[in-house]
Amino acid sequence: MNTGKQGSGKKLGRREFGVGAAGMAAGALGAATVAAPALAQRRGGEVVMAQQAQPPSLDAATSSAQSSRNITLHIVETLFARDEAGNPMPDLAEGVTVSADGLTYTFPLRRGVRFHNGRVMTSADVKASLERYGRVGASAAIMRPVDVIETPDANTVVVKLKEPSPGFIAGISSPRAPCAIIPAEEAAKPAGQIEIIGTGPFRFVEYRPDSHVRLARFDDYSQNTNFQARDGFGGRKTAYFDSILIRFVPEAGARTAGLQTGEIHVLEALAVPAARRLAEDRNVRTYEMMPWAFQTLMLNHAQGPTANLGVRRAIQAALDMEEIMAISTDGLFRLTHGWQHPGTTYFAGDVGKELYNLKDANRARALLRESGYRNEELIILSDSSFSNHKAAAEVTAEQLKAIGINVRLNVVDWPTAFSQRTRREGWHVWTLMFGIEPYEGPYNVVGFFSGQAPIQHERDAVIDDANRRLNTALAEADRRQAVADFQRRMYDQAIAIKCGDVGIVQATRANIANYRPYRIPRLWDCWFA
Amino acid sequence: MLRYTLGRLLSAVPVLFVVSLVAFAIIAIVPGDLASEMAGPSATAEELARLRAQLGLDKPLLERMLDWYGALLRGDLGESILLRRSVTAAILERLPVTLGLTFLALALAIVFGVLAGMVAAVRPNSWTDQGVMALALVGLSLPDFWLGLVFIWLFAVQLGWLPTGGYVPLAEDPLGWLRAMAMPAGALALTQMGLLARMTRASMLDVLRQDFVRTAYAKGLPGWVVVGRHAGANVLVPVITVAGVSVGILLGGAVVIEQVFALPGVGRLIIGAIQRRDYPVIQGGLLLTATIFVLVNLVVDLLYAAVDPRVRYDR
Repeated sequence: MNTGKQGSGKKLGRREFGVGAAGMAAGALGAATVAAPALAQRRGGEVVMAQQAQPPSLDAATSSAQSSRNITLHIVETLFARDEAGNPMPDLAEGVTVSADGLTYTFPLRRGVRFHNGRVMTSADVKASLERYGRVGASAAIMRPVDVIETPDANTVVVKLKEPSPGFIAGISSPRAPCAIIPAEEAAKPAGQIEIIGTGPFRFVEYRPDSHVRLARFDDYSQNTNFQARDGFGGRKTAYFDSILIRFVPEAGARTAGLQTGEIHVLEALAVPAARRLAEDRNVRTYEMMPWAFQTLMLNHAQGPTANLGVRRAIQAALDMEEIMAISTDGLFRLTHGWQHPGTTYFAGDVGKELYNLKDANRARALLRESGYRNEELIILSDSSFSNHKAAAEVTAEQLKAIGINVRLNVVDWPTAFSQRTRREGWHVWTLMFGIEPYEGPYNVVGFFSGQAPIQHERDAVIDDANRRLNTALAEADRRQAVADFQRRMYDQAIAIKCGDVGIVQATRANIANYRPYRIPRLWDCWFA
Repeated sequence: MLRYTLGRLLSAVPVLFVVSLVAFAIIAIVPGDLASEMAGPSATAEELARLRAQLGLDKPLLERMLDWYGALLRGDLGESILLRRSVTAAILERLPVTLGLTFLALALAIVFGVLAGMVAAVRPNSWTDQGVMALALVGLSLPDFWLGLVFIWLFAVQLGWLPTGGYVPLAEDPLGWLRAMAMPAGALALTQMGLLARMTRASMLDVLRQDFVRTAYAKGLPGWVVVGRHAGANVLVPVITVAGVSVGILLGGAVVIEQVFALPGVGRLIIGAIQRRDYPVIQGGLLLTATIFVLVNLVVDLLYAAVDPRVRYDR
């Protein structure tokens, strides 16, 4: 996002935000906004999508789970969304005007936008939704800088901040736990107790836990005519399917079989070996997306061997990332050192690259000797819920044993690992795939290692300062510098270790026309051929 | 009989109480909660704390425990954190799926297992006997989840006869229900089928050596009458014993099979609750499972009296 322009007090429309947070590349088709395709669009039919997990909640604002947003982002919309490259773009807002001091954001709203209950959206709904997000949103911190929200008229919302927050638009446009605009009467209700009503191209019909969610096309959907075609989570969206059935199928083999038989039309993710096996199947299309996430090793600085900088540096020097990534991703990976994706605004170039993927056992052993390491046990915490976490842990363990570290692997289930890592003791290395955060941009990535409770359990003044500058500097160049400083510190102090970028494969039946892979399987602007 | 039944039901109360205590103890030990999943890895401590408060996860364990027992005395298993609805309702909604799957699998196992055992027993040490027992051993050895995946590959992907998964309520479409249940019930039944076949064969061989069988043959009764009616009736008691044990095993297997075939049953509810730490559902699910075990054991004991005139509980 270009705050240089924001600071000028200029009204910003779509392309002014074209320098935003993150970027995605859809491997099969390339990534770019496209005009309406020269294909015969057809309305009708029920499309069946399968996903592994059922959503913890359909109250979009309150859940950051992928299983929730796969569904809710068909139902709800936000003031700003993300475009195909991951940059913020206006959606329910026409744009935004930011005051020169960066404290006042004025959002003119698109007119005549209807909720699924038939009522026209007004500024009162937006105000209530934003205020609710501050109370119950899963990323409520994005509303912390907000001082007051005013509604000078039915079609304008003014958000006044207590302090400049250049990440504000990035925050409210993020799909992580969407800052959904819902009717004011629903916004008054507690988390998880609302009627599922939004302004999106599909409306909620039913949720049968452990079975499915059904959505139906919203025939009074108000398209965003400021755009020619779909673009990321925004743009001009058109619903062609009569309805969407989202089935929860926990077993990967059963999901793949369903795609093969035609019972399932779209898969949110297909295992890489299955994708290779189905490459010759003319009834199936697969779409590789790279990057999808970071594979990382989080290090505990509070106690044990990883409290010792020398040991952390030895670990960093020892690891062969190609081996870790190849095994943990079934071959769908790329080796990149950046803590932001290449090609995005905040990618910090070669900073730290000289310390990435060294796979130098001799240097690692020397660093280990210098560190005074005395064969203390190093616990690698991982989980069996995500196969790549476990595989990365196993390969890392073997590589560290090879340089003489006394490694113990502790593989538990995801909630246990997640809970364990919040403790200062009981773990030293934790395997984590970082997905939506790098897509969102630098704010949550840098924030993860900053503040009162950083993941490494010991505050680092340089990283805290980089986070402060990132969150307050009005000039984009200053924020980029902050991210570069963060990345340099990550490598220099071996705060945590990035292994590489992970890809994902989405898949559809061949008769799903005009499908384009993205962070979720978007079922608007595609149809049965 | 009535007095015996009531006594057994009363004796189940302390058993179920201990089960619920164990459930609480496990929950107290196992780390993690639903708030972590909803908030995601990059959530701040403050966001997590707020979400925990919203979900009622910030209450001390003892307080949650007392709340739960209080509700239980009113016949309420509490409210699911994830589903935001009554655990009792969530379980009752899914119970037909699990019970349908379990009893269809049990019926398949009993019918085919007992038949196979009897066929093997009437021709001991023949090729038929060896073949049936070899098949029973294979059935006994194969894990049901693996069989489920093989069935999907064979009957859904290759032959296109059956759906890969999903559920159709029996009341809505009996044929659809049968199609949806055929593979999961078949996969689940095979292990117990093998067990029942081997046990029936062994029991039948014992019975066929007894004097009354020789007498029946001497009286000129046809072979199928001797085996089917006279010898078969004597095999019923061990079959009922094994079938009772099988219900428990099948219920356990249903947990996995429901995952493989995406069936919205109680097993899937409990697995989902464990994965996401939805404590009231875990407690309710465990209590329900224990109750079913207690009831099945009681039914088995009562059936002994029904099929064997020597067994009486009223003396």
